[in-house]
Amino acid sequence: MGITIENVSKSFGEYLAIKDVQLEIPSGDFIALLGPSGSGKTTLLRMIAGLESLDSGKIHFNGVDYSNKPVKERKVGFVFQHYALFKHMTIFENIAFGLKVRPFKIRPSKQEIKERVYDLLKFVQLEHLAERYPSQLSGGQKQRIALARALAVEPEVLLLDEPFGALDAKVRQELRHWLREIHEKLNITTIFVTHDQEEALEMADTIVVMNQGQIEQIGSPDQVYHHPVNAFVYRFLGRVNEFCDSDNEISYIRPHEIALKKSAQGNSVPAKVLHVHSVGSLVRIQLNRLDTNALFEAEINTEKYQEIGPLKKGDLLYASFSNLVVFGNEQKEPLTAIL
Amino acid sequence: MFNKSKPHRVLPAFGLSMGYTIIYLSLIILIPVAVLFLKATTLSFSDIWQTVTNDRVIASFKLTFYTSFVAAVVNAIFGTLIAWVLVKYQFPGKKIVDALVDLPFALPTAVAGIALTTIYAPNGWIGQLFEPIGVRIAFTPIGIMIALTFIGLPFVVRTVQPVLQDFDRQFEEAASTLGANSTQIFFKIILPTLFPAILTGFALAFARALGEYGSVVFISGNMPMKTEIVPLLIVTKLEQFDYAGAAAIASVMLIFSFILLFVINFWQWRIAKKHQVA
Repeated sequence: MGITIENVSKSFGEYLAIKDVQLEIPSGDFIALLGPSGSGKTTLLRMIAGLESLDSGKIHFNGVDYSNKPVKERKVGFVFQHYALFKHMTIFENIAFGLKVRPFKIRPSKQEIKERVYDLLKFVQLEHLAERYPSQLSGGQKQRIALARALAVEPEVLLLDEPFGALDAKVRQELRHWLREIHEKLNITTIFVTHDQEEALEMADTIVVMNQGQIEQIGSPDQVYHHPVNAFVYRFLGRVNEFCDSDNEISYIRPHEIALKKSAQGNSVPAKVLHVHSVGSLVRIQLNRLDTNALFEAEINTEKYQEIGPLKKGDLLYASFSNLVVFGNEQKEPLTAIL
Repeated sequence: MFNKSKPHRVLPAFGLSMGYTIIYLSLIILIPVAVLFLKATTLSFSDIWQTVTNDRVIASFKLTFYTSFVAAVVNAIFGTLIAWVLVKYQFPGKKIVDALVDLPFALPTAVAGIALTTIYAPNGWIGQLFEPIGVRIAFTPIGIMIALTFIGLPFVVRTVQPVLQDFDRQFEEAASTLGANSTQIFFKIILPTLFPAILTGFALAFARALGEYGSVVFISGNMPMKTEIVPLLIVTKLEQFDYAGAAAIASVMLIFSFILLFVINFWQWRIAKKHQVA
């Protein structure tokens, strides 16, 4: 189902949570709403679900105005960050809930419900847990059951609010791939909220970067990462070094784009090593520019490190900043400047 | 409890605190109860049997359990409602209503009894409204139920209120995204969550009602076979210096109450265990 969000605004008392947002979500898309906390991404998601009312604007589902439609009629599957599984029901009963509460006329028979629930349990690979209670499950299992429960009512849109936020890193990694696979199988319009740029880049077809209740940029992971429209998007999507020059103009560069050499070359800048730490296959080096005294971080892979290293505190290196990006104050086009 | 390989505890004085608990419970509860049973055994078994199967005693047992049960059920329903209103809505005077709930605890029960009798007597404010349609409240089991409802009111409100306060809205929201309407959300999601707390409140109100004396003696009229409750019968026996008889009746009362509370607690424990196993 395609969703069109037209000039939507929402405030909580004095606080303006969503400011005049416009967004077109094509049917079958896998979209990430990415932003820091307080950027309005969860509010926007809840408005699509109907859990939050609109102050102004409209939300259309497949061209039909859904702005004032009650939640239960929207056919959305919603997955909460803290799972919201019903504690007094078994896993089976949790998944069957959406089918059991249907009006008598369209309610499937007991046998049909049972088959559907077991199909879903098989789909999320947790058939053996049917008779357990939520308190007996791990976080990752709970989130999979929450998804199965949402899918039981055959929603046309799947909405996930920080679905992996409460899970540990390893489980999170697994579930990312798993959710991506599920989206590919079902091809259902999916919108998920996250503050983790890596998660958004890894999973989504389209990333919507939000800040202070507004959309900063909409684009593919490639577009938003390599062609950010402004400094906020650039800074939010990865590690970044900031340099302020004499005209008070700020230029940015990502740590992995800085080339480090043992000897001076072209317009490279001498820098002193402050700290070296290796993170798996990468080595992060904190340096101090000798010309401006600015601190910055460079990131190189282990092979490269073996070429120039080993390094210790106080070693002198030459850094070239070939890819510095400057955003004009009001300008939205990225400019590439060469030092 | 008596684990030999002692795990590290935050409070090291397990022996001391456990000892204190046992001594305290013994002094306050176990020893007096044991003496009660001991006193009852000064009668022969046939005497005890005769005392407790006396028609008047049986009638008062039935009346006490019946009226206490009805009062506890009424409190379970309306206490939950009051807790709901106090938690879910904001209205002027909410703090006062909240404070009013505890009043039955603070008021001497005899005062409550006299006040209720004055109002519900055939010529009282409310009693006179029912008199023409042939319903008498004071001096009948209905009056007893009203007094017992009054004294048991705070229990259910105070046990349900915190649970309702902690109830996370996301469960209601999850149910509504799955297509449930508000009636279904209440009966399938909210009520089952509150049920253990309602049950605790019910058990407390029920137990309190079984032993209530002060407020009931004024409103019940104390007619043998009709409106005479067990605690009154016990006092009557004591006034006739029939200590052993009083102890016998009290012992039977205690056994029944204990069984009932045990069953309710067991039921509640089963529910809690199901939901909270880690």
